Amino acid sequence: MTDDASGSGEPADQGTGEPADGERELLEAFERLAPQGTVRWGFDDAMRRLSSPDDRGTWVEPWHGLPADLWDRGRGARAGERVLGDVITALAQELTEYAQRIVDDVRRTVPVDTAVFDALRFLSARVERLEAAGDPLGIRPADLALPVPDVSTWADAVGPWLGEPADRPVVVGELGDRSIVDAVAAAGGDVDAVDPRAALAWTVRDAPAGRPGQVRVSVADVVEHLGRLPVAGRSGVVLSGCVDRVPLDGKVDLVSGAARALASGGVLVLLVTDQGAWDAALEPTVRDLLPGRPLHPETWSEVLPRFGLVDPEVHLDGNGQVHAVVARRSR
Amino acid sequence: MTARRPDAGASGVPPGPGIHLMVPMLHRRDAVGEHTRSLRGLLLAAGVPSTIYTELPDPDTVDETRPYRDYEGDAVPGDVLVYQVATRSDMTRWLARRPEPVVLNYHSITPAPFFARWNNGIARMQEAAVRELAELAPRCVLGIGVSEFDVAELRAAGCPATRVVPVVNVALPPVPPDPDAAAVLARRAAAGGPWWLSVGRLAPNKAHQDTIAALFVARASTAPDAHLTIVGGPTEPHYAAALRRFAADLGLSGAVEFTTQLSPGELAARYRAADVLVMLSEHEGFGVPLVEAMAQGLPIVAYDAGAVAEVVGDAGVLLERKGPRTVADAVADLLGDPARREALVAAGRARPGALGLDHAGADLVQALREVAAGARPGAARPAQGTPVRPGTPTTH
Repeated sequence: MTDDASGSGEPADQGTGEPADGERELLEAFERLAPQGTVRWGFDDAMRRLSSPDDRGTWVEPWHGLPADLWDRGRGARAGERVLGDVITALAQELTEYAQRIVDDVRRTVPVDTAVFDALRFLSARVERLEAAGDPLGIRPADLALPVPDVSTWADAVGPWLGEPADRPVVVGELGDRSIVDAVAAAGGDVDAVDPRAALAWTVRDAPAGRPGQVRVSVADVVEHLGRLPVAGRSGVVLSGCVDRVPLDGKVDLVSGAARALASGGVLVLLVTDQGAWDAALEPTVRDLLPGRPLHPETWSEVLPRFGLVDPEVHLDGNGQVHAVVARRSR
Repeated sequence: MTARRPDAGASGVPPGPGIHLMVPMLHRRDAVGEHTRSLRGLLLAAGVPSTIYTELPDPDTVDETRPYRDYEGDAVPGDVLVYQVATRSDMTRWLARRPEPVVLNYHSITPAPFFARWNNGIARMQEAAVRELAELAPRCVLGIGVSEFDVAELRAAGCPATRVVPVVNVALPPVPPDPDAAAVLARRAAAGGPWWLSVGRLAPNKAHQDTIAALFVARASTAPDAHLTIVGGPTEPHYAAALRRFAADLGLSGAVEFTTQLSPGELAARYRAADVLVMLSEHEGFGVPLVEAMAQGLPIVAYDAGAVAEVVGDAGVLLERKGPRTVADAVADLLGDPARREALVAAGRARPGALGLDHAGADLVQALREVAAGARPGAARPAQGTPVRPGTPTTH
């Protein structure tokens, strides 16, 4: 017998064969774990093509030397990139001389395997990626057992900080115990909720209806989500979790992304874990390996104006757990 | 010194023309490997000399095989070569040049796109396998598939004659007693909620992630205590790692068990302990776990892809779509309806017989002997485009 699930109560699935909203994001969360598109995958692909004579793909003919983008690789100031530049230069000279010898010998042009260029290209990108990461162990915060900040202390305060519901939604990233999402939606604001954890997003989406504000849930890294939003398209941004664990450059990306997304006069709320509470909550190994650590609220108040987020206010948690920093997008 | 042919003197089989099995590698606890070993046993039992030749040795089975190049010194007029097709192999071009009749025993080539996102090396290998099949198929005397789905692929590749013979190595009851069964059942009883089972290699075409996502939805809605056991070895390591990570990300680490390398008895214990087999594979040439589940009295919820409908018939719930909520609801509906469940289980117990599994081995040996009879010096070769065995499917 065949079930078409027509009675399964999943309206968005009927007739299309496509998973409903939420279901699709669950499955996309898995697809993001596939290596295709990564530098590692591309490098492996190029190396396999080099080692498989029957499967090299395309050829470049005639030989015009290395593609220009490869000459531009490895010219940075960092040590790894300088080494890379030396390697590429040596390989390029070798290839050029080799090709020239053949041309001289047989007096014809010779094809050059594009897999060679791809291998060099991805080798360059891998080294640059490693250099840029500044994380020699390649630790992913998501792989470590991190405490989820209890932001519910500030749930009642967030509404007044954000002000009257505006015609633009409020970004809430990440979702934690979802108290902030509920508070904003209960006050009538539309919520643009984002969290990289598909399971948590699912529970927020599946929460009972009845909130005056609409809640739209996305499964994504918060910084990527902010980067996709229209400029000045949000009336408020509330960030927690991600602002604690990412390294400093990631924190800068988050704040600049929030500033970009905020409308003039829009409000940014950072819910940041107390440094002492953070250290106490983490296992020593996790604390040692994690590339990021919460900034002190006063540090945030120094940093935010550099991104056009003015009038920062620090609200300290009397229990020493999660503090709040509130700033406004300059008009 | 060349090793002695393993069939020489084995089981009292006299030397002479044989039906020899060619396989890129011979693995234990692998569908193609176990099929090949079973087939050789059946041939020897029928008095037919048979040796397994491989391109690469597997340390676990090296005593059972010989390098395929050695066949050139072993060849006897009247031999038939049976090539087990599932992946690419240097043996293909070599076989295409051999004078002996070649039979393709097709085990389905998983299409490359399934692997492309995970391992482009495997994807390229699968593409090469399809090219090789297209080169060899027109030169074979017979293509044997385990399902009409597979036979259709053989026809498309250019096989002049084809037929369906189901797999010959399905572990049907009674299975050997399993000392681990009590522990498995105790774990299952302690878990409380429904226990889902999924059996199949951790390969992208098996789509285990869909089962995990469906379990997540089930636990969030209809069955908070539902658990899942996935039985299968990692064919693609990135994919296998991603499955574990996906389960962890969804908070299911304690609810999803990954296990492999099970004995038949240990596997049977899982079938007995589970409440439902969930199989959401997107490319299935046969689906041995479907038959094993039906034989063990386990109801099935499966995605209707490849040969699944052909194997399950009306003895399981087949889904045209497999969104997580669709699957979770289908399982809940099935487990919540004892009468329907019993009807499907009863129908399932009859399926192995209806599929002809009880005589599949004899059918396969008979088909190969008929090819061999036509291959003997002086015998008329079967005309291309006519059935090798009257009354059996399928030729064109």
